[in-house]
Amino acid sequence: MLKNYFKTAWRSIVRNKAFSLINIIGLSIGIAASLLLFIVVQYELSYDTFQPNYNRIYRVATQDKFDKDITYNSGIPVPALKALRAEFPQIQFGALQSAYGSQVTVPADKNETGNKFIEETGVFFIEPQLFDVFKYQWLTGSPASLKDPNNVVLDEKTATKYFGTWQQAIGKTVVLDNAITLKVNGILKNTPANSDLPLSVIISYVTLEKCGQSYNHFDTWNTTSSNFNIMALLPPAVKMDDVDRGLLQFSKNHYQPLQSNSIKTNFLQPLSTFHFDRRFASFGDHVTSKSTLLTLSLIGIFIILMACVNFINLATALSVNRSKEVGIRKVLGSNRSQLFGQIMSETAVIVGISILAALGITWAVLPYIKHIASIQEQLSLFTIQNLIMVVSIGIIVTLLAGLYPSLVLSKYNPITALKNKMVTAGVSGVSLRRGLVIMQFTISQVLIIATTVAISQMNFISKAELGFNKEGVLILNGKSDSISLSKQSAFKQQLLQIPGVQSVSFNNDPPSSDNLWSTNFAYNHQPDEKFQISLKFTDADYLKTFGLQLLTGRSPVESDTMREVMINETLVKKLGIKNPNEVIGKVIRIGRNQWYPVVGVVKDFKTSSLREDIKPTLITTRKTFYYCTGIKIRTQQLANTQLAIQKVWNQFYPEYAYSSQFFDENIERFYQQEEQLSLLYKIFAGLAIFISCLGLYGLVSFMAVQKTKEVGIRKVLGASIISLLQLFSKEFTILIIVSFFISVPVAWYMMHSWLNNFVYRIPLSSWFFITAIVSSIAIAWITVGYKAIKAAIANPVKALRSE
Amino acid sequence: MIKIRNLEKIYRTEEVETVALNKISIDVKEGEFVAIMGPSGCGKSTLLNILGLLDDPDNGSFLFNNIEVANFNERKRADLRKHNIGFVFQSFNLIDELTVFENVELPLIYTGVKSGDRKKRVEEVLDKMQIMHRRNHYPQQLSGGQQQRVAVARAVVNNPKLILADEPTGNLDSSNGNEVMTLLTDLNEQGTTIIMVTHSEHDARYSHRIIRMLDGQTVLENIMV
Repeated sequence: MLKNYFKTAWRSIVRNKAFSLINIIGLSIGIAASLLLFIVVQYELSYDTFQPNYNRIYRVATQDKFDKDITYNSGIPVPALKALRAEFPQIQFGALQSAYGSQVTVPADKNETGNKFIEETGVFFIEPQLFDVFKYQWLTGSPASLKDPNNVVLDEKTATKYFGTWQQAIGKTVVLDNAITLKVNGILKNTPANSDLPLSVIISYVTLEKCGQSYNHFDTWNTTSSNFNIMALLPPAVKMDDVDRGLLQFSKNHYQPLQSNSIKTNFLQPLSTFHFDRRFASFGDHVTSKSTLLTLSLIGIFIILMACVNFINLATALSVNRSKEVGIRKVLGSNRSQLFGQIMSETAVIVGISILAALGITWAVLPYIKHIASIQEQLSLFTIQNLIMVVSIGIIVTLLAGLYPSLVLSKYNPITALKNKMVTAGVSGVSLRRGLVIMQFTISQVLIIATTVAISQMNFISKAELGFNKEGVLILNGKSDSISLSKQSAFKQQLLQIPGVQSVSFNNDPPSSDNLWSTNFAYNHQPDEKFQISLKFTDADYLKTFGLQLLTGRSPVESDTMREVMINETLVKKLGIKNPNEVIGKVIRIGRNQWYPVVGVVKDFKTSSLREDIKPTLITTRKTFYYCTGIKIRTQQLANTQLAIQKVWNQFYPEYAYSSQFFDENIERFYQQEEQLSLLYKIFAGLAIFISCLGLYGLVSFMAVQKTKEVGIRKVLGASIISLLQLFSKEFTILIIVSFFISVPVAWYMMHSWLNNFVYRIPLSSWFFITAIVSSIAIAWITVGYKAIKAAIANPVKALRSE
Repeated sequence: MIKIRNLEKIYRTEEVETVALNKISIDVKEGEFVAIMGPSGCGKSTLLNILGLLDDPDNGSFLFNNIEVANFNERKRADLRKHNIGFVFQSFNLIDELTVFENVELPLIYTGVKSGDRKKRVEEVLDKMQIMHRRNHYPQQLSGGQQQRVAVARAVVNNPKLILADEPTGNLDSSNGNEVMTLLTDLNEQGTTIIMVTHSEHDARYSHRIIRMLDGQTVLENIMV
């Protein structure tokens, strides 16, 4: 019986080639698109799950409650480590201090300065106890390798990169940031890519005792840095809420005496949220919000649904042609369930072919997945999870697409069916078809609106007035050790000799970045203000190099230490002062330092991404913090100028690797996820429209055949071609208009929430919605047009004879 | 074999009520060859549909082999039909996607005959109908006469007790028509009961008895000598 089902199914597919092709193309694209999205979502959800104690690992994070807002920090003051161990003896704690952006030098005989490697991520000072919390596989050595100072453990790929093979690395020395000599005495297996704590260079934590200051590791309750984290492994019986209650008391005991302007509280952040909580800094390559994953999953489901809709619509429309076959089978003794089984098997054959095609498409597209998702790892299509997913998709799609047509066809009365009197699948069939077309166009229009809004917002961001000049500024990452600092002045002079260089500024941070150095402060001999200010340490050429504009006063004079300060417009406003001139000559104290005079007010510039408000900012001088060199260069002869800059760098700092980025590229990176989402909307809106049009084309083709006689009669009676085109397009136009009214509130809500992520955003104007309806109708007319025109201009005599 | 009494079938729409069968009573004995004739709309096809268990009457009794089947549900009717009744239609009603062999095989699949037996029986019947050489052809590749022979082969493959033929020669030329009528006569001689609806007096002469209908009732019965 089954063989017969599949045989008939296959022949029916071959016979209705055009419709089968429409179904297979739609389904395979739909399944491939969804499969890709599900692979991405599944990968993102898999972060850190390989940790055996995944559900018991937490980070002790910090919350600062100010008068008006709350800030979160993944870090904690350094002394908390000892206190936590004393007060929570039942919990295992392990600490780590990140040192990313470090340079590791591997001494080499031939090369005097050794081989230099800049490690942007993966460099940590780690306690051996951390390995009680997080489990990593050791190729050689053990956590005890990190007991003594100046020991380092490398991961396999880093060891191979430094020494050729990991075996050769053992016992060798490397130098961290040209200052700390470390001996390699352990090798870890590479951390899986889906980890939020990827380790490459692991230095023993006790090494920090001598060099902590260079890594902002201050043993004081007053400083909280996101670079210092304490991880905790809770015993199975201990609940997070109980520990959080204990931490509340712990916070009161340790932070209240500090009399800070905020209420500081420690609490546990579960490992399962590390990858999804954008409030906290991540040591991994990216953080993905759960709402993004939900959006991706929904798009995946919608695309599959749209393909199923095509199948249902075409199958029920075609059922008219199949009534004879159903009638014969019934007469010959087939019962309803057998017919149901037969039609379901036909669906299964089409879905099966589509799945094979979808697997091919997915396999071809998977290597490019990194453009729409932050996945650098080469993902494999043929895994058990994906196999289960494909089979599940197959079953669900077969049921979704096949159920209704099977029920409709198997219900036919054999006599009516044999007489081919099944004009349509019944009134309910037509209404269902309309309903499904409405659903398809609703999804398409929501995606069109989402796409246009996302593109416009990203355009707005790229063209937004930032308050500084981001073009043509090269950022060099330098060091602020005493030797390097002593060469800075000569280095600057030499750079300025290069014809393409316009100006050079040493600073700790460019005007806009995702770094945050903030502190409490007091103004004009008042008590501490109830909000924090962000700090930037720069030389006098900062404004010139980055194109910042002075509102009043002047820049602080050149000095190695803090002497004068300049503040931004936002800080003036937050202090409740209307006239910026009023602050000139007043004094400001940051932290517990002395009072410094305000000498200038700088016009507001965007201090971080446009998602956030401009931060109240103070700009001052302090040479020891000048890690960064900003170089404004002329855009002509860019390559030559860059080469010349590198040459000067190598001449002055042969012991440091040269590393540069353009400032505008750094800014673009702020919006990487938004750019990806915007690209994703573009792709999937395109696919959604394509699938809808495919279905529409199928339906119109069917309609053209059904209406051959009607068109013939109308033509004989004098109908114009235009009126005949209306005959075909009127219904679809009405359906699109109905779906527009459904899509408007959905899209409005969705994009309103998305735009709320940005402080600086475009208004959700009616043009986005008008574009969606106009383009949908236009695309639908073009789709319908070809078939409709063909039917309308056909010779009416032929049409009538065909009856 | 068939005994119907006061059978009624009324088609109703919102405004019109059409009496298709008006308290009709007919007997057909096993081994008979009966022709039903009458003008269009007299109820011949409705009667044939009810006799073939494709439709159910509104009133009256229908005994098939002494079993009352008038009130059978769809599943029971399908079951009785597939084991006892074969159909031959004017428009052949072959499935275009299946070959000659597969079309003939279909009733055997529905009655659950095993694959080996099916093959044997289909080949036997195709041989008998002299279309074995066309076994792998599709219906569109055959002439009308050949298609009807396939339809007859399909009707008899299950060895039904009753064959219902609805204008079996209606779409055929006279020579092919005669061939089909000869086939039916042969089957009847081998013991199969045949009830045939026809407009053709020529075809009706092959039968033992002609029942003439008008407005849903039998008006005359001719016994053929």
